[in-house]
Amino acid sequence: MIEYLGQVRAIVWKDLLLEARTRERVVAMGAFAVLTGVLFNYSIDRTVVRPQDIGAGLIWMTIVFGGLLGVGRTFHLEAQDGALQGVLMSPAPKDAVFLAKVLSNFVLLYIVSLMIVAVFMLFFGLELGSSAASLGLVLALGVLGFVALATLFAAVSAGTRMGETLLPILIFPLLIPMIVYGAGATSRLLAGRPGTEVADNIRMLAAFALTAVAAGAVLFRFVVED
Amino acid sequence: MRKVRIFALSLFMLLVAATDLAGQLPSNQLPTQSLKPYWHVFIAYAIVIVMVLGWVVSIARRLTRVEAQLGE
Amino acid sequence: MSVKGIRLTGTALAVLGLLGLVLVYWLSFFWVSTEVSQGIAQRIFYVHVPAAWTSFLAFGIAAFTSGMYLWLRDERLDRAALAAAEGGMVFATIMLTTGPLWGKIAWGTYWEWDPRLTSTLLLWFIFLGYFMVRTGTENPEKGKRFAAVVAIIGALDIPFIHLSVVWFRTLHPDPVVLKPEQPTLPADMLTLLLVSLAVFTMLFMGLFLLRYALENLRAEAQARSREATA
Repeated sequence: MIEYLGQVRAIVWKDLLLEARTRERVVAMGAFAVLTGVLFNYSIDRTVVRPQDIGAGLIWMTIVFGGLLGVGRTFHLEAQDGALQGVLMSPAPKDAVFLAKVLSNFVLLYIVSLMIVAVFMLFFGLELGSSAASLGLVLALGVLGFVALATLFAAVSAGTRMGETLLPILIFPLLIPMIVYGAGATSRLLAGRPGTEVADNIRMLAAFALTAVAAGAVLFRFVVED
Repeated sequence: MRKVRIFALSLFMLLVAATDLAGQLPSNQLPTQSLKPYWHVFIAYAIVIVMVLGWVVSIARRLTRVEAQLGE
Repeated sequence: MSVKGIRLTGTALAVLGLLGLVLVYWLSFFWVSTEVSQGIAQRIFYVHVPAAWTSFLAFGIAAFTSGMYLWLRDERLDRAALAAAEGGMVFATIMLTTGPLWGKIAWGTYWEWDPRLTSTLLLWFIFLGYFMVRTGTENPEKGKRFAAVVAIIGALDIPFIHLSVVWFRTLHPDPVVLKPEQPTLPADMLTLLLVSLAVFTMLFMGLFLLRYALENLRAEAQARSREATA
């Protein structure tokens, strides 16, 4: 067990170290967050629609699209220099590789999602009140589920002719629960409701995330085997 | 065969659009407005036949092709 | 069961199913009574609901055989999954086209995010993903495994999807209050619905077996041509 965790940690560390050194993905996703906020501002008519009413939805859609961009390339980088083969030939079991990928993607996307919330709160005058921790939890669970599915299907789409363009088609139907419960909770919290009111949402998000991670861990080996 | 199917499908879509448009006209000009539900039922039941028979025919054709291949 | 046996059973079930369909049509037009609040359009119910049921049955079969395929690596399981997925798509398409036709009359609008229609729409796209990865992969063996993963994850997610769209709907009820079915169906309508469900299931199973047999024959033809060129 300790050896297993050690292997997971090693891969996560490698990915995060790579990211910290190049800062490639976090910069791209951060810029994406800000620019998307700007585009959204010009796409809505503030005299007709209150940003507070749709803010939660915009935030989650931005997380989804940003996540697609970031996670979609998870295996792209490695496939390029054949490093994927290297990772796979390592003694680490495939589910450890998967969990490691999910973890490093999660750290990345979670940071970006916080950025998105901050940017959108600034741009659209959204307020949080006392439920910041609840929102943090909602985001964490939603992003975890998203990342688990996206990582698994990034490996799938990387093996197809269409590549990353196939990823949205594969995962968008699967993300409906995350959007419904995540955006639903976010909208409540942004409207000043207390965290206790979104307990059900959090439970569903947790169940969703757990299922996604577990299923992905089991199925990943079938995706990457030769 | 494919052309027939495309034609049939376009005909259905035309019919659906027509029934909808027919519903928009003022009722005094169109004594048959109450026929719209009949159209919808007709089209729905037709879709079932088209899709099911379509699959049947598709399987049958592929079967004959494969049997020809195996026959040689 | 040999391929010949499967074909025979499949053909028998399919023929019975088609005859049953004729029966259902006849009963629907000449026997069953007209529903009070919706009138004639309600009859679409007798093909719409069985189509939905069949598409989910097909998907269940596809997901189950996909899981078994990844575990046991028996090619026949993958062929069964493919056959089921194809059938599922046919019946899901029927459900998604007949639904709005009914809805336009019953609710006044073609689409209003009815949870069952929405879940089936998403199921249709999961089927689409199944076929896209299957045919979009250079290595066909990989394609089969990718498709199996799509089917399994889809099956795990569908309950979540359905729960979430139903929950969303309770929060955002549509102003249209008309319900597609009455809370309790009169006896003759219930009978016709059950008959139609049985007929659609039989029809699907028959065609599924035939499609499965077709896939087995294709594999044999491929194997033979490979031997011939070797």
